[in-house]
Amino acid sequence: MLKLNCIRNILKVSSILLILLQLSCSQYKKRENIIVASAGKIESLDPAQANTLRTLQILSALGDTLYKINKEGNLSPSLAKDLPKVSKNGLLIDIPLKENISFHDGSIFNAEAMAFSLNRFRKIGTLNYLLNDKIEDIEVKGKFLLRIKLKKPSSSLASLLTSVNLTPVSPDSYSNYKDSFNNKKFVGTGPYFLESFNSSQQIIKPFKNYWGEKPLNKGINFINYSNSSTLFGAIKTKEVDVLISNSIDDLQRLTLNNMAKKDQLKSGEGDPIEIGYITFKSNKLPLENKVVRKALSYTIDRELISQQVSFGTREPLRSIVPPQLHKKEFKPWPKYNPNTARSLLKTEGYCGTEILSIPLTFRSNVPADKLLALTWRDQIKRDLSDCLEITLNGIESTTVYKQLSEGAFEAVILDWTGAYPDPEAYLTPLLSCNELNNNSCLKGEAVFSGSFWGDKKLQELLEKSEEIDGENRLNNLIKVEKLAAQGGAYLPIWLVNPKAWSLKDISQPEFSKDGLIILKNLERD
Amino acid sequence: MSTKKALFKYILSRLTLLPIMLWIISSLVFILLRIAPGDPVDAILGTRANEFARESLRIKLGLDKPLINQYIEYLNQLIHGNLGISLNTQEPVKVIISKALPASLELAIFSILIASLVGYLIGFLGAVKPESKIDFSGRIFGIATYALPPFWAAMLIQIIFAVFLGLLPIGGRLPPGAIPPPPITGFLLLDSILDKNVEIIFSSIQHLILPSVTLGILLSGIFSRALRLNLEEVLKKDYIEAAKSRGINNSRVLVKHALPNTLLPILTITGLTVSSLVGGALLIEITFSWPGIALGLQEAINQRDYPVVQGIVVVISSLVVMISVCIDIAIAYIDPRVSY
Repeated sequence: MLKLNCIRNILKVSSILLILLQLSCSQYKKRENIIVASAGKIESLDPAQANTLRTLQILSALGDTLYKINKEGNLSPSLAKDLPKVSKNGLLIDIPLKENISFHDGSIFNAEAMAFSLNRFRKIGTLNYLLNDKIEDIEVKGKFLLRIKLKKPSSSLASLLTSVNLTPVSPDSYSNYKDSFNNKKFVGTGPYFLESFNSSQQIIKPFKNYWGEKPLNKGINFINYSNSSTLFGAIKTKEVDVLISNSIDDLQRLTLNNMAKKDQLKSGEGDPIEIGYITFKSNKLPLENKVVRKALSYTIDRELISQQVSFGTREPLRSIVPPQLHKKEFKPWPKYNPNTARSLLKTEGYCGTEILSIPLTFRSNVPADKLLALTWRDQIKRDLSDCLEITLNGIESTTVYKQLSEGAFEAVILDWTGAYPDPEAYLTPLLSCNELNNNSCLKGEAVFSGSFWGDKKLQELLEKSEEIDGENRLNNLIKVEKLAAQGGAYLPIWLVNPKAWSLKDISQPEFSKDGLIILKNLERD
Repeated sequence: MSTKKALFKYILSRLTLLPIMLWIISSLVFILLRIAPGDPVDAILGTRANEFARESLRIKLGLDKPLINQYIEYLNQLIHGNLGISLNTQEPVKVIISKALPASLELAIFSILIASLVGYLIGFLGAVKPESKIDFSGRIFGIATYALPPFWAAMLIQIIFAVFLGLLPIGGRLPPGAIPPPPITGFLLLDSILDKNVEIIFSSIQHLILPSVTLGILLSGIFSRALRLNLEEVLKKDYIEAAKSRGINNSRVLVKHALPNTLLPILTITGLTVSSLVGGALLIEITFSWPGIALGLQEAINQRDYPVVQGIVVVISSLVVMISVCIDIAIAYIDPRVSY
C-alpha cells in the first residue's frame, strides 16, 4: 500500500513538472524574430577584425559596402552612387557616394565617414595588408566624393571594395575606437541595427530609416551551437528557423538535403566560394620534380572522393578558382587517369621496385580532410600500388598553418575562401611570388601557401592583370591558372557551396555572390 | 599535538604552498604554450598576412618582447590579480572566466547531485543484498557507465530525448531568443530565481536536465562501485557482527554502524570528482553547446590565446586546491582517526 502511494506521488510530481516544463517551452514557439543558427562564436563585431563567416554574415546585415557583386557577377553600386572612375594613369579612383544615408546613430554617411572607416581599417584591420599593399592615400574630395590614391594601378581594388570588412562605421560612435576594436557594438548604415550582443547570441532588428529595401522580417536572432549534431538536431526539432551550412558534417548535409527534397525543409544554395586542394612542396625532391607533380595530378579520382567523403555534396574541382568567377567553363587540371600517372612515374624511374612514397598531411580537426586523405590513400592502393604510396599524418590546423611557410609538409590538404568574389582573390594568395630562383619561390604568398612554387611568366601575368580590366583581365587570369596547372604545385579537389536550410514556414534562403545569406529577404509565412 | 592543531597546521601548510604551486603551474603553462607550435598572430590574421601586418600585430599584442620580459610581466600582473587581456577579443580574461566558470559549476553541481543520488542508491542496494538481481544489475550499470565514452553517450541521449522524443531542448543554456536575467551570481538558475522570472527558471531547468543527467549518470558508476565495495567490506567487520549479535535490527546496523564508516573513501572520491569537474566537462559541454569553462579553454587553446589559457588554468588550479583542502577538513572532522 505504502509502495503504491509512493509510486502515485512520484507520478503526480513528475506529471506536474513535465506540464510546467512543456508550458514554458511552448511560450517560446510563438517567436517573432527569425532564429538563424550556425557554428562558431562571434567574438567581435568590428569589421576591422571580422574574419569568420558567421561574423561576416551578421555584419552584412548591419552594414553596407560601397559596392556589391550583382547576380550577373558584375560590380554594382551600393553606398556608392556610381561605378568607380579611374584616372588615365590608373592611380586615382574617384567614388561618388549616395546622399541622404544615415548611420544607426543618426549621423550622416558621407565621404568623411567613408574615409574614416577605410583609414581605420588600414590602421588596425587584421586584414589591412589587403588595402595597404594597394592604397597610397584616401582623400575627401567633396562631401560625397571619395578619392583613393593607389601605389600602382589595381583593377582588383573595385572588387575589394565589396568586402564586408570595409563596411563603413559611424565616426561619431567610433571616435573612441579609432585605434582599437569596438567588439560588442556596431553602428553602420545597414538594414538592421544591433539590439543586443553576446558571444553566443546576437539580436538584430530592422532599421526604420534604412535607405534601401526594407527587411521582410521583424528581426533576426543569431545563435551558435558548438557542434554539427546539435545544429542538425536544432533544425529537426524546429528550435531554430534557419541553419547555415558551415561546420555541418557531410552526412548531416545529405540528410538535410533529402529532407528538403521531401519538402520537409526549404533549402538555398549560394555560388561556391570555398575550394579544397592539396599543396605540394615543390622545392625539395621528390616533389621538386615537375614530372612527378604532374603524375600526381592524374592520380586523384575526384568523383569517387566526392561520393565517398561528402556523398556528392562537394563538387569535384579541376581549377583553383571557382568556375563562376571566370564566367566560363574552364578546367585546366587533368582528369583522373592512373595509366598516364603510371607512365609518367615510370619515366622518372618509379614503379616496380622503386615506389614513390608521399607523406600527406591533413588537419586532424577537419573531418572532411581526414576522410579525403584516407580515401585517396586507398584509391592509390587500389589503382597505383606498384608505383605510389601515400602515408598519412594528421596535425591540428593551427599547427599546420604555422608550419606551412616553414616547409614542413611535402603534401598537405587545405582550403581557401577568397576575401572577395574575384579570381585574383584565389590566384594571388596561392601563386604570387616576390622573389624567385628558377621555379622556387623564396619570398611571397607561395611561401605562405606552402608550395614554394613560382613562375616568372605567371608573376608577370598576375601583375599585368592589375593594369587591365574586363574580359582582357579575365583572359589574362585564365592564362595564369593554366600556368599554375602546368606547374602542378597545387591539386584542386572540390568546391564547397554555402548552403542554408529553413523551416517550411520561412522563405527559401537566398545568397549573395559573396556566399552570405541575404538576411533581409528571410520572411515568415 | 591535538588533532585540531595538527589539522590547522596542515591547512596552513597547504595554503602556504598554494602560491608556490600556482607559480609552478602558471610558469609551466606559460612555457608549454610558447613551446607548442602555432602562433596567436596566425590564429588572428590567418596565414596570408604579410610580414608587416604580422609584425605590427605582434608588437600590439606584446609578443615581440623577449620571452623573459613577457614572463616577468605576466607574473607581475598575476601577483596583482590581473589575469591579462584576451589576445583575440581584447576582453579582460577575468570577465571571460566570470562568464564561463559559473556555467561549468552549475552543470557540475547538478551532475554531482544526480551522480550521488543514483550512484549511492544503486551501490547501497547492491551492498545490502549482495549477489542479488539488484546487485548484479547495479554492477553491470556501474561498469557500463564507467566504460561508456562520454561523447557517445551524450550524443545518444541528445538524439533520443531532444531530437526523436522532443522532450527537452537540444543544447545551450536558454532557448534562442530568450533574454537571460541580469547576471548577479552568474549561475543562470539562481539569477533567474533572484529575478523572479518563472519562464527563465523553467527554461534553464529544461536546458540543464540533459547535460547534467548525462554527466551525472556517467559519474554514478564510479560512485555506486565505490560505495558497494566499501560497504561490503565494512559489513564484514567484527563490530558489525557484534552489533547484529546484540540484536540491533539490520537497517539500524546499516545506517548507524556501517554507512558512517564508508564515508571516508566515498567523500574522497566525491571530492576528487568535484575537483575534476571544476575544470568543466569538455565533451559534455561540446555536445550540448554548454558555454562552460572547458569549452572556453578548448577555444582559447585552438586560437593560441595565451592569456586566456593561462588565466583559466590558474583559476581552475586554485579552485582544485581549495576544494581538496576543504575535503581534507571535512574528512578530519568526520573521522577523528585521521592524523596529519
